[in-house]
Amino acid sequence: MAERETTVGPEEGIHGRPAARFVQTAKGFSSQVVIVKGDREVNAKSVLKITGLARKGDKITIRAEGEDAEEAVEALTQLISADEH
Amino acid sequence: MKLTGIGASEGVAVGPAFVPATGRPQPERERITENEVETELQMFGKAVEAVVGNLSETANNLRASGKEEEAGIFEFHVEMAEDPELVSAVEERIRNLQSPEAAVLAAGEEYAAQFAQMDDEYMAARADDVRDVMGQISAQLMGRGASGFEALQIPSVVLAQSLAPSDTARIKVGMALGFVTAEGSRTSHVSIMARSMGIPAVVGVGPTLDGALDAQAVALDGGDGYAIADPDADTVAEFERMSAALDEERAALDEYRHLEASTSDGRRIEVAANLGSASEADDALEWGAEGVGLFRTEFLFMERDDLPTEDEQYQVYSAVARAFGEKPVIVRTLDAGGDKDLPGVEQAHEENPFLGWRGIRMSLDTPELFKPQLRAILRAAVHGNLRVMFPMVADVGELRAAKTILQESRRELKAEGVDTGEVETGVMIETPAAAICAAELAKESAFFSIGTNDLVQYTLAADRGNERLRRLQSADHPAVLALIRQTCEAASVVGIQVGVCGEAAGEPEMIPKLVELGVTELSMGAPSIPRAKKVVSEL
Repeated sequence: MAERETTVGPEEGIHGRPAARFVQTAKGFSSQVVIVKGDREVNAKSVLKITGLARKGDKITIRAEGEDAEEAVEALTQLISADEH
Repeated sequence: MKLTGIGASEGVAVGPAFVPATGRPQPERERITENEVETELQMFGKAVEAVVGNLSETANNLRASGKEEEAGIFEFHVEMAEDPELVSAVEERIRNLQSPEAAVLAAGEEYAAQFAQMDDEYMAARADDVRDVMGQISAQLMGRGASGFEALQIPSVVLAQSLAPSDTARIKVGMALGFVTAEGSRTSHVSIMARSMGIPAVVGVGPTLDGALDAQAVALDGGDGYAIADPDADTVAEFERMSAALDEERAALDEYRHLEASTSDGRRIEVAANLGSASEADDALEWGAEGVGLFRTEFLFMERDDLPTEDEQYQVYSAVARAFGEKPVIVRTLDAGGDKDLPGVEQAHEENPFLGWRGIRMSLDTPELFKPQLRAILRAAVHGNLRVMFPMVADVGELRAAKTILQESRRELKAEGVDTGEVETGVMIETPAAAICAAELAKESAFFSIGTNDLVQYTLAADRGNERLRRLQSADHPAVLALIRQTCEAASVVGIQVGVCGEAAGEPEMIPKLVELGVTELSMGAPSIPRAKKVVSEL
């Protein structure tokens, strides 16, 4: 299992195209990946679950379980902490 | 009857009203029987596949025609249509004997309702996206098309509760004169689409729309944000006059496109374009660009897994150099920082990326990034009139270091027997430090270009993305104007050109001030060029 805490970068939070890109990236890994925010834990491969989950500056944790867990957490952390603008 | 809303896309239009036959889709069956479950599960899978196929095709077409923002919307829809959580929720409902068309609408509505309740306008707008996509899957299951836009056969003003991207994408070119919607804001898809289609839109008129749905004709003003249902003859005449006046204004500006603008006292001001990618070059020339005042190179480095090779960059810079021929093209070296991902470059998290390791600071520390870019520019310069500009310079030491690497690159290319062209070097004046040290920088530069957006942000200590600070986001501030003046004075002592490549360069009310301060080149988004030339020639 791998996990990392990070801060949401994009100005409008997680939604729309950044959300789509995030999910597309998550689907590239065989590991099960979840985003944890507060006491909510959602499937990182579900765009409907992650939409609206967090706003810019929110702390979230990305956790993955499986063969490529490390790589998944690394790639997704980079993506979500980057400012889209 | 007058409908007041938000002006979401400028322009005026008057024409017949068109109300698409929509409304929430109704499932044909609510329940299925036990022995239908397996077949219906398969049908559902196929419907999702078909909708995903359509949406992906639309996304690809939009991307191919350069409409990135719109393509992104459809990619988001693809992800929603094949969302694993949604798919398993629908499958479970089907196993519990709900019909697939009812299941997909019900499962989608759970998310839509949740989004609609969010107090963030942008998130609330996502409810429409969910309903749109679920409506398409359920329509597919029931063997129908998703909306009534096929019936739109004469150019009309479209009236609707809301318009989804799948609706606007289905409208044939030229058939929509404008949009009037009950829901929506400036950031809704309908608004983005209207602006991209170049037609007026009034959104968020609320329930008054219901009273207008029987209208025969509609007039709308997308600048002032109102529409008139069944306008009388005088109103129609008034809107036709306004529409003609707007067309005339655009046509009048056309005369200025290819003009070489000078002030009445004979000062020649070059009006150039800012480019964000090579594909914009032809368009910029059409608008009358006399060169490129800012060619941003970030696009080459973004959204990929590896750094662009020297050859790849050479191809891109050459294409722009050739397109502009003798006209100058200022290539700005990479201006990336902690706010953007860069493949292959280790970037630590920064609290203040705009005050961080970015622009020339990063380039000087990362020769494997900087050198291939400089080599590519030197090689491409053979094909046109390229200049190189360094971003985020704070002192003359940085400029010297960058020029040393440029010379080194030129020597290496010569030793390798590769042709290089002449390349002038200049500084982007965007830190207050650079403006204050302008006299020193001018002695070692061939030109300056003032990046007003960042210069304003750094001088006034006001984040350019913070909406509450709008008062402090204009170049029309005594401190910023003083720095521009200082820069122009330093440049005139040694006789080098000063351009402005920030937003201020294209603003009609700022142009006279910039010219007065001594700026000799203005570079802007290409569609603003004709107006800027007009403003200059009236000075």
